[in-house]
Amino acid sequence: MTTLSKAAARAVADLTEGEIVAAVEISASRERVFKALTTREIVRWWVRPGVFDTTDWTGEVRKGGRWRASGTVRGEAYVLEGEYLEVDPPARLVHTWNRVGAPGKPTTVTYMLEDIEGGTRLTLKHTGFTSQEACGGASAGWQTSFERLAALL
Amino acid sequence: MHRGKASNDVYRAIADPTRRAILDRLRAGPANAGSLAADFRASRPSISKHLRILRETRLIIDARRGRERVYTVNPVPLQSIAGWLEGYRAFWQSSLGRLKRNLEDK
Repeated sequence: MTTLSKAAARAVADLTEGEIVAAVEISASRERVFKALTTREIVRWWVRPGVFDTTDWTGEVRKGGRWRASGTVRGEAYVLEGEYLEVDPPARLVHTWNRVGAPGKPTTVTYMLEDIEGGTRLTLKHTGFTSQEACGGASAGWQTSFERLAALL
Repeated sequence: MHRGKASNDVYRAIADPTRRAILDRLRAGPANAGSLAADFRASRPSISKHLRILRETRLIIDARRGRERVYTVNPVPLQSIAGWLEGYRAFWQSSLGRLKRNLEDK
């Protein structure tokens, strides 16, 4: 078991896989963290000040149940919704994420909670940002060529 | 926080391994369709099809040089994909930081 670090939350975008991976260590139990992921408490942290502000959330937290959130993004109203695919407290939670009215397929958010000394490590993956075709076409050579292209940006 | 049609097309364009290899080849310098076909041991019609898709998404730009048409890579469309994912990246980093503060400041 590793020890809780004081490090801030970190998130990285992987363009080649079309996913976001984020992690944070919190000095609270997995049960406590899981509760914050699955109750209206979400409106207190699904927030990026001035950019993304969640003001309402409802959800039926069970496999096959649905959730819905609303708020504003850059001053414009939005509605998000999704379905719970896995509910395994206090270890794992998977749900789809769909912005109502936006084109494209829903993406998927996976939360994984691990015990560490003094608290919980929460790892999040938000996947599915590329089309099926783009994912299927991913190959070993792809990553290096994209990295080289990205170096131009 | 969603991608538009243009970015979808860019994804589709770069989903193909031959088109990614063409982009990689053009990174080394401009080339015409004939030399690309030779490099990839592909038929001219097949290379032309890939070049058309890359041109339509503006991942490559063509210019006339005398009697031939040469292609160069254009990184700008890739920025829309990078920018769109960056919104989500920043959102999760910020919100998990907020979750940590909420649960610890008690």
